Amino acid sequence: MILFGFIIFPLIYILINFLPVFHRLKQGLAIVFALINILLSVALLAEVKDAGMVKLEMGSWQAPYGIVLVADRFSAFMIAISALVILATVLYSYHSIDEERKQTGYFQFLFGIVMGVNGSFIAGDLFNLYVWFEVMLMSSFILMSHGGERKQLEGSIKYLILNLVSSFFFVAGIGLLYGKLGTLNLADISYKIFSHSDPWSSITSPLALIMVGFAIKGALFPFFFWLPASYHTPPPAVSALFAGLLTKVGIYSIIRFYTLVLYTNHEFWNLTVLSIGVLSMVIGVFTATSQYDFRKILSFHIISQVGYVIIGLAFFTINSLAAAIFFLGHNMIAKTNTYLVAGWVEKRTGTLDLKALGDMFRENKIWSILFFISAFALAGIPPLSGFVGKYAIIKSGIDSGHMLVALVALFVGIFTLFSMLKIWMEVFWKQRPETIESSPKQGPEKLMVAGSALLALGTIGMGLAGIPVMDYCNAAAADLMDPSRYVEFVLN
Amino acid sequence: MELVIAVFIGILYACGVYLILRRSLVKLILGVFILGNATNLIIFLAGGLERSGIGFIKDSPMETVQMSDPLPQALILTAIVISLGIAAYILALMYKFFKVTGTHDLDQLKNTEQK
Repeated sequence: MILFGFIIFPLIYILINFLPVFHRLKQGLAIVFALINILLSVALLAEVKDAGMVKLEMGSWQAPYGIVLVADRFSAFMIAISALVILATVLYSYHSIDEERKQTGYFQFLFGIVMGVNGSFIAGDLFNLYVWFEVMLMSSFILMSHGGERKQLEGSIKYLILNLVSSFFFVAGIGLLYGKLGTLNLADISYKIFSHSDPWSSITSPLALIMVGFAIKGALFPFFFWLPASYHTPPPAVSALFAGLLTKVGIYSIIRFYTLVLYTNHEFWNLTVLSIGVLSMVIGVFTATSQYDFRKILSFHIISQVGYVIIGLAFFTINSLAAAIFFLGHNMIAKTNTYLVAGWVEKRTGTLDLKALGDMFRENKIWSILFFISAFALAGIPPLSGFVGKYAIIKSGIDSGHMLVALVALFVGIFTLFSMLKIWMEVFWKQRPETIESSPKQGPEKLMVAGSALLALGTIGMGLAGIPVMDYCNAAAADLMDPSRYVEFVLN
Repeated sequence: MELVIAVFIGILYACGVYLILRRSLVKLILGVFILGNATNLIIFLAGGLERSGIGFIKDSPMETVQMSDPLPQALILTAIVISLGIAAYILALMYKFFKVTGTHDLDQLKNTEQK
């Protein structure tokens, strides 16, 4: 029943928000519901730790016929990390989003995203996954354009069209796959393909369509262009939430789909996924280094860092998959936090152009340290979480014989460090150019610090408690590497 | 019949892609609608086309071979509802964009572009 809570509580909050009164109370309730989400995810982690997997058959329809919600260790991990990101963003938004946006349903749509993200992580069949994607996307479209500033509208159009195209790829793939296999339940698809002797000639094209859909959502090379064109346009809290959650849902789906279905045609898919991962990693980081806008640098880095996760998946050993899961979790936390700091910088100075910024370290030490922690976690400096993740991915790559790819990953790490240092020097360290006027916005910042500090603590925690978290990821990866467990559990 | 619908879907996709590549925002949106409908037809076709028999099992056992699969139709229904929501949003967005910028030329969208 606990799985149901992840969907019903955000839905309750959305419904409460339709009441036209009590604006203050409703905004306060957002924090309460984010806390409920965290408590639920902790409860799920505890339950999954013992049982391994949890499932819920909606309306008591048996597994291959009805809609089934499944959570294994991987889903529980993703839900827990995203719950942390959501709580931090809600706290941060409480003081950073302007009153007009808050009163016109900002938190309502934010919880639409929460519901969609939670649903995607526990969806047990493909069409259900598509529906949760749409729930998430509709809310994100609205948040993207919410407020109606000119650059926001431009960003939304690009974001909207490319994400719709990705949905069309995904649905077309689902339709064709259903036509061939007669099922949409992920476990059942996995079982049918596994027990079939040579299914590949007829279903490779639907699988490719579905993978293209996921790859557009996950902003992988060569489908990433929507991301840097749109993520720097909405209010900072919104882009922080998107950076932390939306692309990661696409990556989660790729990992789930690969380990359940695509692994049976290893020769073809492994090379494809590996090269996509390497290219995303390299191209993301190179384009990032040439940017001069705080949030644009971070946007391009998202592409580079999902590349790391994908090569971890493509090495396809238990260790590398565990490393990929760990890195995904670390990246969600650290990436969101860098965006949150960018939001603070914008609030204080009114701009995010690196050339016009400077001296932020002198202005506020706490925020500078918060940025330092998460940016250098992204760059992979010990003892922060990024070090553990990158080390594990590169080591597993060398162990599985992908020496060249591991070297490329190391090389990309140097450039990540370079662009994080660039932000640090330009925004926090150098003297601000005298000629440029700053236009700070007023308003309280206490909860903004609280949200950001929560994520920084998460980064430090994942770094210092690297071994227990990694052990958990190893158990999750072991489940993923043996899809028969998932199939047997879902289909009995 | 399958072949006719398959060719029709192909034509719809071609129209949709052509419209999406135009400069006008209105045509872009029409293109998105057409692509959406073409995709819904794919699901419809995937269920198989049978002339007789509906997907409804009565008390007396009847030939299930002649039935068309009801599930894809249910899937399309969901997909149509979703595309209705998206259509409503996309039209509102276009209206707002036109009001703010006074143009529906996609080449004017360069402000947010990466350099």
